[in-house]
Parts: sequence; C-alpha cells; structure tokens
Amino acid sequence: MNEPVVVRNLRKTFYDEGRGEIKAVDAVNFDCREGEIFGLLGANGAGKTTTLRMLSTILTPTSGTATIMGHDVVSSPQGVRKNLGFYSATTALYPRLTTRETIDFFARINQYPADLVPERVEHLINRFGLTKYADARIEKLSSGMKQKVSIARTIAHNPSILIFDEPTVGLDVLNALDVQESISELRSEGKTIIFSTHIMSEAERLCDRIAIIHAGQILACDTLAGLRQSTQQHYLEDIFVLYVKAGQATI
Amino acid sequence: MNWNVLRLLYIHEMKMLVRGRRTVVMALVLPAVIMPLMLYAQKYSVNRRERLLAGTTYRYAVTGPQADRLRILIHQTQQNLDGIPDAEVEKLRQFKLVEVRVPNPTESLKRGEIEFYLETMTGADTDKLPKETAQRRPNLFRNSTAPGRLPGVPLVNIVYSEDRDASDNGHDRVMALLRLARQRDSQLALVDHGFPGDPKELFLSDDINIATRSQVTGSMVGRLITLFLVMMMFTGGAVASMDIISGEKERGTLETLLTTAAGRSEIVVAKQLAITSVGLVITLIQGLNFLLYIKLKVISLPKDFDLQLPTGMAMTLLLLFIPLAATIASVLLMISAYAKSYKESQMYFFPVYLLSLIPSLASLMPGLSLRSAIAFVPLANVSVAAHEIMVGRPDAPMIAVTFAVMTCTAAYLMRASARMLTREELIIPAHFEAAEFLGGPALFQKRVLRWFALMWVVTFAVATNVPALATLRRQLIFNEIFVMFGAVVLMIGIYRLNVKEVLSLKPVKPAVWLAILFSIPSGYLTAIGVFRIVNVFIPAPQQLLERFSAEIIPKGMPTWELLLYISVLPAICEELAFRGILLSGLRRKLPPVALVIGIGLIFGLFHVTLYRIAPTAALGMILTVIAIMTGSVFPGMLLHAGNNALGVVAGDWFRPDILLWTHYAAAAAIFALSLWIIYRNRTPLLLR
Repeated sequence: MNEPVVVRNLRKTFYDEGRGEIKAVDAVNFDCREGEIFGLLGANGAGKTTTLRMLSTILTPTSGTATIMGHDVVSSPQGVRKNLGFYSATTALYPRLTTRETIDFFARINQYPADLVPERVEHLINRFGLTKYADARIEKLSSGMKQKVSIARTIAHNPSILIFDEPTVGLDVLNALDVQESISELRSEGKTIIFSTHIMSEAERLCDRIAIIHAGQILACDTLAGLRQSTQQHYLEDIFVLYVKAGQATI
Repeated sequence: MNWNVLRLLYIHEMKMLVRGRRTVVMALVLPAVIMPLMLYAQKYSVNRRERLLAGTTYRYAVTGPQADRLRILIHQTQQNLDGIPDAEVEKLRQFKLVEVRVPNPTESLKRGEIEFYLETMTGADTDKLPKETAQRRPNLFRNSTAPGRLPGVPLVNIVYSEDRDASDNGHDRVMALLRLARQRDSQLALVDHGFPGDPKELFLSDDINIATRSQVTGSMVGRLITLFLVMMMFTGGAVASMDIISGEKERGTLETLLTTAAGRSEIVVAKQLAITSVGLVITLIQGLNFLLYIKLKVISLPKDFDLQLPTGMAMTLLLLFIPLAATIASVLLMISAYAKSYKESQMYFFPVYLLSLIPSLASLMPGLSLRSAIAFVPLANVSVAAHEIMVGRPDAPMIAVTFAVMTCTAAYLMRASARMLTREELIIPAHFEAAEFLGGPALFQKRVLRWFALMWVVTFAVATNVPALATLRRQLIFNEIFVMFGAVVLMIGIYRLNVKEVLSLKPVKPAVWLAILFSIPSGYLTAIGVFRIVNVFIPAPQQLLERFSAEIIPKGMPTWELLLYISVLPAICEELAFRGILLSGLRRKLPPVALVIGIGLIFGLFHVTLYRIAPTAALGMILTVIAIMTGSVFPGMLLHAGNNALGVVAGDWFRPDILLWTHYAAAAAIFALSLWIIYRNRTPLLLR
C-alpha cells in the first residue's frame, strides 16, 4: 500500500431524474507507481473523467476509497490537493490575470512555501518559454500559449502526482505534441502521472501502463506488452475493441 | 480555516471583480452616474414644466345663464387672495386667465383654442338633470360640507381635457379659485343673514405633539432604512455575485479553483466577503450620493426633519446591519452557486430580490413589535428592530435574539452555498435535462414545488378577493376539495403517477394505530405546554388569540358539521397533498431533515396567519416524520383529524387554569413514547 495512488472499489452513482440511478464508476481498482505514466483509456462516457474528478476531490465517491500520497480523498481532501496537480480540457485559466499572476496565485493557493514562490514563478516562465508573455493577460494569449500556462499552473506548487484528463482535446497536432512532450519531461523528473485519453496513439506513445475502462469498470490493466500478450493482438485499437466487446457481453 | 488562503482568495476575488469591465461599469459606475442624472433630469423637467405652466395665459370661455355672475366672482376672488395657504396663493397669483368668446366651446376645447370652459346652470335647470348626472357632474361641490346637493343650488361645470398639460393644470387652478369664491360667497351669505361673528372663527383647534422632532424623524427613517439597505445591497451585490460563481462556472475556472488546496469553506467565505464588500461600497456610494443631493437641495427633506444618531444607536444599528449584509451576500452567493450560468443567475435574481423586499417592509406594519414571533423572521426582525432603535425604544434582549437569528441565517446560507459546490450537476453544467423530454414521474419531481406555489397563490388570492367564499364552510370546501384534492388528482393525471405509491396508501402495523391513538391527546396537551412556555418569552396578544379562535371556530355551527369541516376534511385532503404527493415529489431531492423541515414549513405557510404558521409548521413536521417512519399517509390522517377535533371540542377539557406542569410533563412523556412505538414498528418510506 505504499504506491502514490491507490484506488479500491471506487464507485460513483448519480441519480438522474430522467434515467434513474446511473453507475458512472463501478468498483474501480488500480494503483499508480512512482514515476510512471498510468493511462486510463476509454471512450467518451466510460467514466474516466468521473474517476479523475473523485481523485482530485471535486466529486465525493459514493463508496470505496482512494488515496493520494497516503491522503484519503474523503477524509483529507486538502492533503490530497496539496500533492496533486489537476489538468483537464475544462479547467480554464482566469482571463483577467497575467501569466505571472496566474502561476503565482496557484503556487500560493496550493501552499507552496511563500518565500520560494517568486523563484518558482520565474523558473516556470523560463521553462515554458513564456518570458515575452509574462505580463500579458491570459485573455490576450493564443491557445498554444494558454496550454503552456495551464501546464505551468498545474505544476506551480511542484506536486508529486499529476492528473491530465484528456489534455489534448481540441488542440491541433503541433500543440498536442507539445503537451505530450511536456508530460514526458515531467515523468523524467520523477512525477507520477495519471493520463486519460480516448486517443490510442497517445496512450501507446506515453503510457507505461494502460487501464482500459468501459461503462465505469476497468476491464484490463497492464503494460502495452502485457496487453498484447494476453490478447494476442498488436495494435492497441484492436486490444481495446476486444476488451470492450467482451466487457459488453459480461455487463 | 486557513487565514492566509482566505486572504489570498479574497484579494484574488476583488482583483477579478475590479478588473472585470462589465462588473465595474454595472456595479459601480452606472449606479453612481445614473442616480444623479435621473434626479437632475427629474428636477429639471419638473421646474421647466412649472415655469412653462406658470407662464401660460389660460384661455377659457364661460357659457350659460349664470356666466356674468361667475365672471364677477372670478374677478373679485382674483383681486382678493387672502385666507388661503401661502403655496396656494402663490399659484393663484400666477394664474393668468383670459376669456375668449367662441361660438362652440366644446369644439374649441377639442381643437386646443381654449384650455377649458365653464358651463353654468341655474338651480332650477340643475334640478331637472337626472339625479345620477347631477351628482356626478358637479365636481365643484366635491369638498362641500353638505352631504349632497340641495335643490335650487346652481351648477358650475369645468369642462377640460386631462390629456393636455395646460388644460389639466388650468382645471386644477380654476377649481381652487372657484372653491375660494364659493367659500367667500357662503361667508357673505351667512353674515347677510345675521350670523353673529366671523364665520371663519367658530372655534380654534390646535395640537400638542409629545414626540420630539428627532423621534418623529427617527420613526420615519427607521421604517425605511432597512428596506433601503436591502435594496442597495441586493442591487449592488448582484453583479458581483453573478460573476463570482456563475461567471466562474461559465468560464471553467471554478473547476480549476476546486482542484487547488483551498477548502470549499475558504472559497465560499472569500466569495461571500467579496460580495459583502462590493455591496457595502455601493451602499456607501449611494448613501453619500443622497447626502450630496440633500446638500445640493436636489432632494428636499420634509419640514422639521431632525435626524439624531447618537453613537450607541449607530453602533446597535451597525450590529444588526452587518449580519443583514452578510445574509444578503449569502443569498446572492446561493443564487450564483445554484445557477449553472450567468444568464440563469440573472433569471433567479429578480424573484428572489422581490421576495426579500417583503420582510423588509415589516416595520411599515402598524403595531408590530420586536417582542413577538417576528424576531425569528430574518430581515423582518431587522426591519422592526431598526425602527424601534431609531425611535429611541430599543428592546435589548430581542435585539440580541435578532442578531443571533441573522447570524445563524447567514452562516446556514453560507454552509448551503459551500455544499452546492460539491454537487456535480451544479459544478458541471449538464447539456440537457432528460426529465424535460421524458415527462411523467421524472418531470413531476421537478415541478412539484411549482404546483404548491401555485396552490398557495390560488388559496390566498381567492380568500382575499372573492367575498362569496368568505364563510368558513365555503372556504374550507374550496381550499380542501378544489385546491388540495383537485391539485393532487391533476398531478396524478398529468404526470401519469402510480396512485398507491405516490400517495403512500399503505397499511401499517396495528401497534402504530395504537400509538397514534395515544399520541392524539398527549400531543395536543404537549403543544399547549410548549405554547405556554414560549408565551413566557414571546407573549402573543390575548385578544388576537381569542379573535383567531373565534374566526376558526364559528359560533352556531353544529358540532358534527364543525368536526366534518375542521377535522375530517382537512385531515384527508391535506395529508394526501402534503404527506402524500409533496413528500413523494421531494423525497429523492432532499435529505431527511431538510425534507421534514421543508414540508413542515410549507404546510405552515398554507395557514398564513402569523400566529398559526409556527404551530402548524411544527404539526406538519411531526406528521412528516410519522409519514416517513410508517411509509403511509394513513396514521398522519388519524393524528391530524384527532388533533383538529380536539381543537374543536376540547377547549373546556384542557383549560390552562386547571392544568398543572405535571400534566404537561406526563403528556410529553406519553407523546414521546408513542413516537418511539411508531419508530420501533417502522416500515419506512424509501428516501434518496
């Protein structure tokens, strides 16, 4: 139980007045190892985002447990968030802040040591090549620049765990590659990363281990080589389809 | 609470608000600029109109057999303008009249060639007019002391056109002139006929006011100050509040903020403080605006205005206005947290704003004292307290109660806002509401509260506006059968509901029936005991209570009929409505405690008289608890019927003068035991 991220029997049930009870996440189990990129691969509506929102404490689980660096998502949400950087296509930036103010705000709000904040802000501005835009308001930046600032604010407090929820959705190829490159760099710095996507090539290229999620359940979880071996398929797309069809038959 | 994080968030919120052009313009610039512009524009147009009308020479015509006499009267009165108030004299002095001879005055008036004409008739001709016409037409005699027109009295009709400023104004002035002329004429007639002395000096009347000028001013300002503050805080804080959560949801920054190490409570408190700050700054700006206009004489104060605000009084008011401001900010925050977008937030704002103004008007109600149940009604209590403080009669213990109630309200609303930030459907806007398309039971759960709001409006609109339903029998038949039962039937039909399930028509264990039978007299007696205890702290006026019971239980109605209308009918219809369909509609939406309190309060609100809301709400809560524990509407029906029946027949059995505290204690113990038996034999309703 010393893994940085431990998820056990995690469930999230919504009550929808029209559709009744919906099991968005249904008894999910997985661990993430230190310094790896753990991929959550699933189609839209599979339960990826709900799982990650529970891990980032935005949503409260219906049952089950999840811990981030030993902090329980229900009993110690602030401890979880201090150790976590959460990035998704829906987490926007404050348009009325400048780049520098944005990184500064997120470093301080996540309780990064106050005396080290200015140094950290300058380091991130240089690292992402944002020097020219440091004092420009976010609303004036291009979408590529905004992506860079978003990643900078995600790691502003130097967290050990990073969650990237479909980070390349809506980006052009070059910007998507930039994001992937940044995620690779963060792994080489020893960060533990949970990466969710529905794009097979991204999962193949980035993830050390991949969990295939469908209808709120994890159908398989292994390295790419392990998945290939168990299914006797080469392409991740074929592996995914095989598991989903088998899963549908079971569900 | 991490104070550093709170400080950081507060500064961040204020920075965001100040940098938002829309917020600054809408919340600060517009109110600061529009108010003086409006006041100046109004003053300018009024002055200009006055000048224009004063400079006008009014053209008029006189017709009829009494024309010459009227010309002389007008001329003589204009020459001698004494004995009327100064302001009137000044207006009449400036009243320039010129008679124009026209062949057809009506046509000339229509064409705008004259401003009005005076049509005179002799007394004999007036007598021949149809009675209704003669009484309706002579506006001139409107202020006469005579109850009606006497035979033989001549008539002067002013014919004018109210849609034209000059004509309308000319009519007002000539009416005042003719009234004066008539007064002089009567005085002369009295003296001519030998009346001894001056007819104007029959007796002297004077008055002595024991209230000081500052008390009178305090009373006037105290009645309005809370309303003014509530209006300012709401309108000032609204723009900021909408931007602060709904705007964040729309921009997607709320989710970003929620993934930081800041706690929900810190986020909510920082946002609440930001709204309060903006609201207070705008209130201050508007207050200073008003002071400036008073200084510049754009706004004129009443004569004898003398506002005294000693430090103690100001501090007491401040003590109440701080939680008031916090409560309003919390209400705004809740609207913003509940709405999924800026637009939706704007939609909710207006009805909530109007509803909040209603309790703020409490100080305008005559005879309302803070030492009553009003102390527990948020906003209304501050309104009444502020008035009592400003007339110099503060009630210290009740002010403390008011402060506590307001602080608890603000804290509760803030907590509710923080909870809203954990609700998936509120943080992440859904693209569509499935229930809207599917209809049926799903839509029923969304609409049930609207139905009850409509039922409430219908009940009271009809009760206050339809005299035919003023009797108890008719009112009960209408309310219980048409409104309650009718709405239940309609909802079941429209939303295709399962009757047995939605009305909780389920048998219960025999022990429950036994417990209910015990709970009827014991609950009734316990309620009397509780009322006596409450009455020690907040005494209800005895006369009022007697009047209520006389209204509820009319004299002369046979007992069986009273039992039918007051006990059986409400027990069946109200239980089906409140513990049947309303409970069924809300049970999946609210946690059990909120469900019990909510249904109890709605039940209380349907018994709108102030002193009945609290006891009926308490009864409603107990009935809801029983319905939840038994999963059935029937035990509640029996308890409701039994309780109301005791109210009709047991007045003499449970007289407070023959009851001892031991009786009340025994009754409370039996009542608690009954509830325990019900709990032990529970077959609970399926909630969330």
